[in-house]
Amino acid sequence: MKGKQAALRPMQRKKAVIKNLQAYSFMLPNLILFAACSLYPVIWTLKYVFYQYGGYGTGEPLFVGFENLARVFRDKVYWESVLHTFTYGFGKLILILPLAFFLALLLNEQKKGNGLAQSIVFLPTIMSSAVMGLVFYLLFNAYNGEINKYLMEAHIIDQPINWLGKDHAMKTLVITAVWGGVGNYMVYFIAGIQQVSTDVIESAKIDGAGRLQSIWYIILPMLGPILKIILMLAITSAFNDITNVMVLTEGGPNNATMVMSLYGYKYFFPVSATQAAVPQYGYGAAVSVISAVIAGAVTVVYLKISKKLDDIY
Amino acid sequence: MVGKKAVKERTRSASRSAFIAGVGKWIFVGIMIVFTIYPIIYTVLGSLKTNVELTQGGGFLPSEWHFENFYQAFVEADFVRYTGNSIIVSTAVTALAVITCSLAGFILARRNFVGKKVLLALYMTMMFVSLGSVTLYPIYELLQALKINKSLVGLIIALTGGQAANVFLVMGFTKAIPKELDEAAIIDGCSLYGVYSRIIVPLSKPILAVVALFAFRNSWNDYITSLIMTIAVPKLQTLTVAVVQLKYSVNAAAEWHIMLAGASIAIIPILIVYMLAHKQFIAGLTAGAVKG
Repeated sequence: MKGKQAALRPMQRKKAVIKNLQAYSFMLPNLILFAACSLYPVIWTLKYVFYQYGGYGTGEPLFVGFENLARVFRDKVYWESVLHTFTYGFGKLILILPLAFFLALLLNEQKKGNGLAQSIVFLPTIMSSAVMGLVFYLLFNAYNGEINKYLMEAHIIDQPINWLGKDHAMKTLVITAVWGGVGNYMVYFIAGIQQVSTDVIESAKIDGAGRLQSIWYIILPMLGPILKIILMLAITSAFNDITNVMVLTEGGPNNATMVMSLYGYKYFFPVSATQAAVPQYGYGAAVSVISAVIAGAVTVVYLKISKKLDDIY
Repeated sequence: MVGKKAVKERTRSASRSAFIAGVGKWIFVGIMIVFTIYPIIYTVLGSLKTNVELTQGGGFLPSEWHFENFYQAFVEADFVRYTGNSIIVSTAVTALAVITCSLAGFILARRNFVGKKVLLALYMTMMFVSLGSVTLYPIYELLQALKINKSLVGLIIALTGGQAANVFLVMGFTKAIPKELDEAAIIDGCSLYGVYSRIIVPLSKPILAVVALFAFRNSWNDYITSLIMTIAVPKLQTLTVAVVQLKYSVNAAAEWHIMLAGASIAIIPILIVYMLAHKQFIAGLTAGAVKG
């Protein structure tokens, strides 16, 4: 009996090893990519927060402790870029969410024309924000752009507006962000509205609720849980937007549209082909880590607030 | 009698207010449609105009249709090469994403193995840690050390990446497939690999299509990763990178028509994909976001 058990155990162990190996043969292709492209870069960045390093040919990385982090806190341009990120994100949210919500309300029923309208409004979502950034660069050009041309022909303005100049660049950026995102959020809202049972809306109608009343008292409150997710997605994506800023304004003029994601990038790579970069990898890493912490903190605060709102309802 | 009249009156006023609501709806939706579609139409029509027409102001339609702009973009600006690069990269990234996510999603849904909990926690964490584009530098360095930074392979690997969100998407979908099917197949003599290829893959086609669609869109449209991974070898550039670089060319002011022709070359393929699969795009978005 005893001998039999002893003989069984190595066999069981062997079986378990084979099972694990088998499982890892499925995991491995993805795991390699994950380790190389997600895990390793994050560890690398966390390490270089504490180093001064300029890349190949500039000598060995120098350990500087918390110097990089301290420098971030002293860096006025960085904190301006944080402010710009909030301005940009807030501007984008405040425009995109109501527009997307109304589009969803108007287009969610399965009616002729609604599907087509949905598909068209969703179109920008599938376009390259870099390529469209270039197109917007031409459209918003102060002297040759079509936007100014139409506005002047319609006598809305007498002088061409310098859309990409210091005063307007941020507004222009927000407009292009709304263009690129409104269809996306419309689809989220439609998914939410369709989960509100039509029976509830019907019965409200029978009880004499008007259109606006049923929106305000039924659809909006019942949309609560999904609205929370939509807002969360909107906030996190606003922190990550970088391509359109990079192509359209390059963070300029004079840092007027510098957002924190692009500010960290600047210390690694040239922002445009006309600028030369002086890489400061350690400092860039510190900037990005602090930016990630700020984005994370905003998300946590948002989650706390939205939980409080839940308790009220 | 009076009551009937009142009812009639009420239905008439109701239908009138419905009519007004309908008009109001389509005015708003119409404005949004024009806002959405105008830059796209400008790109496509502008690609057929002359530079003078574009910069000095001309009609909405091109006065003459200058198809030679495309010839100029393709041949003189070397867009044939960039289009080829884009096609190779997007196809490879799509295939790689689908295969790796499908394999990993399946095993995470169906088997317990040593280290699974740690892996799941790591994948989850990485989804929420977003350090942004600076992580491209260590990836580039790694590819350099492996000596694959001077070919499209490096770009393909960097663009595919960990796909954590898609792994969770496939995992969730696989969990919803009844386990009894696996067990029946095993009783019939299928190995784990057989279960995967004969049962799970055919049944998870809908979710794999979503992964494929979004992997294709993201790689075709990507700018920053493609820019950085081709910094050393410009002839590896993809379409988006090549188009944006036109902004910095010496005579950019005289080449608006070429920029727009290039932009059209970059957006028309994805427009065609969208026309064929717009329902899947829209449905896939909510599958990934709201449920997850």
